[in-house]
Amino acid sequence: MNAGPTTPAADPPVTASRRRILARTRLDFWLDALLLVAYTLAYSLGFTGIATHEWLGIGLGVVLLVHLTLHWDWVIRTTRKLLRRGGRERFVWLVNLLLLVSMTLCIASGILISEVALPELGITLRASSFWRQMHDTTATLTLILVPIHAALDWRWIVGVARRFAVWPPGRSR
Amino acid sequence: MKFLRHLAAAVLVVAIILGLGMLWAHASGGTGVGSGPGRAPSPEALLRLKQIKENIKTSVIRVRSDNGFDLADTGNLIRTCEIEAVLAAVVITVNVIWRRRRRRMRRTAARA
Repeated sequence: MNAGPTTPAADPPVTASRRRILARTRLDFWLDALLLVAYTLAYSLGFTGIATHEWLGIGLGVVLLVHLTLHWDWVIRTTRKLLRRGGRERFVWLVNLLLLVSMTLCIASGILISEVALPELGITLRASSFWRQMHDTTATLTLILVPIHAALDWRWIVGVARRFAVWPPGRSR
Repeated sequence: MKFLRHLAAAVLVVAIILGLGMLWAHASGGTGVGSGPGRAPSPEALLRLKQIKENIKTSVIRVRSDNGFDLADTGNLIRTCEIEAVLAAVVITVNVIWRRRRRRMRRTAARA
């Protein structure tokens, strides 16, 4: 990889599609980084306090939906080829599915047992022990699955981070 | 347009998961949203509750009244980061070993 500065004239012509791919990679990278930081903060209830924990959790739900939407092509592609693919692909797919289920149930149960965010919006729900237990269990499961999910793509993360480190911002190569 | 189509599909999947969760809650004794009081707490649970209340009174358990970040409790955040880092390190190590082994096997097969 050429890390040195180059003159604009020496740059190869950047096509519109390549620019789109670069913009998409940048969006994926920063959105994923934001999700990881937000999740880590939301899980640390003692640090954030209950109100920040709840609002962060609701925000996380929205961003997660965007994350799933942006990767919907991967979901379809991998699900279709699931039987033909090797063990690693199947493992990644299974981890992602488990994470989707546990994260969805964690956020939903968190909303249902909300003590600050929902009452602030004028909504009061009678929380049940089932959803409390569900929130605790899925939160623990999510804490295990999030780092696994991120680490399975460590080569992509390192590759993109390295490229960002050597590219001046606003410049595409 | 493509984004909206994918968003609709993602919302549908999330809705299915939520529906299954609600069914689960309903099946496990009607403890869903806004359900009744359910079973009466056991004597052990009542005793534990009493102990917790006493601990709060005597400040053994600290209850935070504020809702902002508690910078004094960074230990909680650090512990979360540690768990994530350890798990990620294990996965990366296994992944590296697995890739190396596979590369070695390919090389051996190519030589043979």
